[in-house]
Amino acid sequence: MEDWRRIDIDAFDPDSGRLNAEDLTPPNLKVVSASEIEPRISQLRSAATSGDFASALQLVTNDPPYGADETTKTRYFEAVLSVLTQVRQAEIANLVKQLSLKQVDVLIKYLYKGMSVPEGQKQGGILLSWFEKVTQNSGVAPVVRYLSDRRTV
Amino acid sequence: MSDSVVVNYKLAKAPIYSHCFSQDRSILALTLNSDCLVFRLIPNGKPQLVATLPDHDKTVTSVDISIHGRIVTCSQDRNAIVWEPLSDGSYKPTLVLLRINRAATCVKWAPSGYKFAVGSSARIIAICYYEQENDWWVSKHIKKPIKSTVNCLSWHPNGIMLACGGTDGYVRAFSGFVKGLDSKEQVSNSPWADKFPFGALIREWYDGAWIHGVAWRGSQEKLAFVTHNGTFNVVDASDEILTAEYPEGLPLTSVVWVNDHEAVCGGFSCHPVLFSEGANGWQFSKNIDKSVASRTPVAASFEGGDDQDENPSFGISALRKFKDLDLKGKVSTQVQECTHENAIMELAPYAESSGNVTEVSSCGLDGKVVIYRV
Repeated sequence: MEDWRRIDIDAFDPDSGRLNAEDLTPPNLKVVSASEIEPRISQLRSAATSGDFASALQLVTNDPPYGADETTKTRYFEAVLSVLTQVRQAEIANLVKQLSLKQVDVLIKYLYKGMSVPEGQKQGGILLSWFEKVTQNSGVAPVVRYLSDRRTV
Repeated sequence: MSDSVVVNYKLAKAPIYSHCFSQDRSILALTLNSDCLVFRLIPNGKPQLVATLPDHDKTVTSVDISIHGRIVTCSQDRNAIVWEPLSDGSYKPTLVLLRINRAATCVKWAPSGYKFAVGSSARIIAICYYEQENDWWVSKHIKKPIKSTVNCLSWHPNGIMLACGGTDGYVRAFSGFVKGLDSKEQVSNSPWADKFPFGALIREWYDGAWIHGVAWRGSQEKLAFVTHNGTFNVVDASDEILTAEYPEGLPLTSVVWVNDHEAVCGGFSCHPVLFSEGANGWQFSKNIDKSVASRTPVAASFEGGDDQDENPSFGISALRKFKDLDLKGKVSTQVQECTHENAIMELAPYAESSGNVTEVSSCGLDGKVVIYRV
């Protein structure tokens, strides 16, 4: 018998229509352009060089550029990653405690994004210790929300 | 097990995706693999299996019983079957051709008991009703603008508005008005819309996460929905969405209103959760049937006569060693935190007094049906 599980039944029904990537993008996302993101990147870098990681982390986790295109997101993410990796291990727990629930959700997104790209994987150890502190603080709830949130960083 | 559990039925060795009690609570129907089992409840006894409804040939996903006692089941074989109870206790099946090309996921009788809605993975809701002339259940489709699988359905008590939620992250309210069956008086003075032609999209709300459960509160004209990211939400006719987060954060699969200001939800954390509305909006209120401080030890079960060798303590210690290897992240094998041992799939109101639900029933992946006191 033919392997019926592999039959593309939608091909027989032009009305059926498939779910595509656009269907999954959330409506009403604020579009963020590359020129808007540049000053925020330099702000981040200067906060990181002056060692003020608490305010750098606030910048990262408030209003992330969900509506930016992929290249802009990548550029912004590089800055975020450099902030996250410059923080000393001992300080992480303290910094995580200062974040609100919403901010933790954003932080988790950057941690997962970091672990998914080669630049972040080189710093995997420090990303994992961030992750550890987040889950110690707020359990698996931010992870579950990350999995179902369609606004990506 | 805490004192909030009224009854704990261990009925199956496979997941129960859906269950339903009859109006007078004498009959319990539940899905089991590709069958639907019908039990008669005996006071203080184990439910007695009275019928097996075997006609589906794929997993049965949902079951519902109408106020007249008719059972409807839907299945991944893309069909729904209406089971008419006969006087000898058996059931007469009538196949309902839904005309969908993917699995049917959920089914709900309208409050009148004369029509039902079936949600499906084919991005379609089928509204089915019986046509006397043709002796046939007719299925009419609601298609637009559903973009993905429909997970859950709820009829408004007026019998016309139908809420659905699905994996496209939208909660939608449609009109399921069937000419000849419904009358305009049912929705007079409705705050949601002026006209209710069949299939009209009345409202839609975006959440983003998978919507696993929806429930109307007719007296308040409010709609509650629960999501895969562990939030409980309430929306009213002004489109304002009030959200409460579940601290444990695990996905919630089902929701039942207890009264105008309280709702109980169930999900992957295996025990019901109560949300309540106070001065600061909706908030997590408490866990039901979860022993946090005093973890109830479960008696170790070394049943059967296998431990009859010369040195029983040796056998038991070896058994314990293997059990400890199989802890899967738990601290000890001897811990059972709540009655359900796996995710709760569906909650339903069980007992009510003066409009308030006092007991809810649940079914879960562990093959149990549990009734909780709220």
